[in-house]
Amino acid sequence: MPLETESKVRLRALVAEFRPNNGDLLAALHRVQHEFGYLSAEAMEVIGDQLGLFPAHVYGAASYYEEFRFEPQAHTNIRWCSGPACRLRNGNGIRDALLASLGIGHMNGQTEDGRVGVILGQCNGACEVAPMVWLEQHESHTIEPVGNMSAARAVRMARALRDGATIEEATNA
Amino acid sequence: MPDALALYDAMRANADAAYAAWRNPERPRIDVAIDQSSISNGALRTRAAIERVVSARNAAIDLGRVHGYGIQWLHPLVQVTFPDGATVLYGPVTPADAEAIVDEASGRWGAAASLRIGMVTGERDGVPSLRDHPFFALEPRERRLLRNLGLTDPESLEHYIARDGYRASARMLGRHSTEDQIRTVMNDAGLTGRGGANFPTGVKWNFLFGAAGEDHYLVCNADEGDPGAWVNRVVMEGDPHLLIEGMLIGAFGTRSKQGYIYLRDEYPLAIARMEQAIAQAEAAGLLGEDILGTGLTFRLRVIRGAGAYVCGEETGLLSSIQDSRGMPRVKPPFPAQRGVFDKPSNVNNVESYANAPLILMHGSDWYRQYGTERATGTKIFSFSGDIARVGFMELPFGVPLAKVLEVCGGMVGGELKAIQSGGPLGSLLPPQSLPKLILQGDSFSPWDAIMGGGGIVFCNDKTSVLVLAEMFAAFVEEESCGRCTTCHGGNQRQTEILRRIIDGRGRREDEPNLKLIDRTLQFSNCVHGQFSPKITRNLLQHFHADYEAALRGEDPSLTMAGLYRVVVTNQYDPALAEAVAICPVDAFRGPAGNRSVDDAACIRCGACIDVAPKAVGKQAKARTVALN
Repeated sequence: MPLETESKVRLRALVAEFRPNNGDLLAALHRVQHEFGYLSAEAMEVIGDQLGLFPAHVYGAASYYEEFRFEPQAHTNIRWCSGPACRLRNGNGIRDALLASLGIGHMNGQTEDGRVGVILGQCNGACEVAPMVWLEQHESHTIEPVGNMSAARAVRMARALRDGATIEEATNA
Repeated sequence: MPDALALYDAMRANADAAYAAWRNPERPRIDVAIDQSSISNGALRTRAAIERVVSARNAAIDLGRVHGYGIQWLHPLVQVTFPDGATVLYGPVTPADAEAIVDEASGRWGAAASLRIGMVTGERDGVPSLRDHPFFALEPRERRLLRNLGLTDPESLEHYIARDGYRASARMLGRHSTEDQIRTVMNDAGLTGRGGANFPTGVKWNFLFGAAGEDHYLVCNADEGDPGAWVNRVVMEGDPHLLIEGMLIGAFGTRSKQGYIYLRDEYPLAIARMEQAIAQAEAAGLLGEDILGTGLTFRLRVIRGAGAYVCGEETGLLSSIQDSRGMPRVKPPFPAQRGVFDKPSNVNNVESYANAPLILMHGSDWYRQYGTERATGTKIFSFSGDIARVGFMELPFGVPLAKVLEVCGGMVGGELKAIQSGGPLGSLLPPQSLPKLILQGDSFSPWDAIMGGGGIVFCNDKTSVLVLAEMFAAFVEEESCGRCTTCHGGNQRQTEILRRIIDGRGRREDEPNLKLIDRTLQFSNCVHGQFSPKITRNLLQHFHADYEAALRGEDPSLTMAGLYRVVVTNQYDPALAEAVAICPVDAFRGPAGNRSVDDAACIRCGACIDVAPKAVGKQAKARTVALN
């Protein structure tokens, strides 16, 4: 009988407190993603075991939500706000400038070296600083809101991150 | 058995003492407003800077926290409370202003004079009352739902209690009211669903009370997904116990023992504050088992969403709670018959519950003092877009929208072009509607429009209404759950057509096809599909001239990608080199002195215009395909 992989052991410990038929699936998925940055196929199995669900059910539910990821995330994600106040101030231009500067073909993609990604964000009601983005790093659980964006600033920010800048450097680029 | 009220009174005595010490501190205290908006404005950096100054000087000053008032364009907000109880509000306060704020708090009155906004409480010569700020002109003299904002630490249970919190529910639990009375007073007050549907809350509670079985579930819809609406967020971040108390009252009135707050993932601070408040209330015996010694149970839990707009539809939300894809289903059965885990359930919006403690405390007549005959009480609204003052207010129903625009400082950057209400499933209203609109759902009906959950966005004439419509069409397409072909297929077609028109390749048959899609979408099973063509319908109804012009290839706003090009307007502007360098797709051609933009390569992001507005500009471009 094969021993469990180390990551499976870690996964089991993470979701040990969750119970079947208790509305715990979203919490379990969040917990695992918080720790690993994404949800692996292994995670579907372990969570399914814990909650009495088929891995296909777990994946089916998880894949329904924008915020769950199934591949390792970029070191830094630029979360682009898609809200209306941001769109009124060239939000679309900022999105296109970010993607083009990084050579990423579509939203939720990342650079080939995995350094920078662009992900879809939603309005959270700080529209006085529209247009805005958030710079996020999973490893350090950092989220830095950056308001009063422009397309030019988006290009400078994306280029800086592509070239290895820190969040602070990219914010001031 | 100890009386619930006696237990409450004991709790209240401690809370009063703690709150009095906070209101009249022995030494000055500096509070920084910490909420999702202020954080986006750098409030955490401002707080850190103030902490550094206080600590470096070893100043006799304490530090604390409040929630902002709604004047978000003045964030980061800082307030200083002096030992006499006077509280002065300052903003925007950047880290560079930290010294001045600490100076003023230390007694050097005048050091931060230029940052003062007004007095929250008390008086100081020459400083106006905050309440007299024009932004608050339309609010009731005494706020109701927002009454604790700025006057309490939102993370303190004691502060909430000292401001009469849990008093109404303690009386209720002490058997001063029956379950029937609870539901009756909500009906008498005329409280209706604040999420936008306006269904009477008390009637909904009656459904659940009358439902079979013992296991009743109370659910709060805190999945506030409409972009441009942050009404629920303010309640949860600013006064989390108000929601808990409202749900406790609902639980008593409907005999529910278990509750869920389904809270969107985009509100991390609201999640943290709600979870903390629930833990505080449980520890104090106000929630959980044997509440205030009465033997009653109400367990409450936050379920964190994960970014699915349609989970704001109640059956989608219920499905999401019970470990499944958050897909809406056909009603009936309604949640009161079959809800969470197939048990009778009731789903209300955050703000609906938040009204309950106020109504129970003051009665239905008091509640009806504000609002109109058909829409009673007050409601929180958030206003954004091309206006001078972005923020939120608590307004009586019936306030004219034109007055709201006035206190928001009017339009900036251009004339009013469109009013967007009710989120992506809402409406697009023309400027001529403004004089007739009041903040009451049915006033929007003549325009085939809805008011919705409280988010209203004002758009100026630098915007193309087609581009706006495409944005919302793409949103509802992306967020369709996929169950109904009408919805997932119809919304794809709707988005594609709008995109093609924006690209300068509209066709004559697009309009009849958009109308066909609209009719077809009415046969979707849930409101997501049924309401998803509303904005495009409003476009054709109220902005038909703009639509026709776009078909002809005219776009005065120069924002429709296929109907303008970017051109060099001044070869000799020194900033032109910067424009060339910033272009993310290297679309500039030719040597210095003879630069041009390759239209096929240009992605119209506008970065070059940002850095060299006098050297590069936009130029109208005729459509390249003949209109047929």
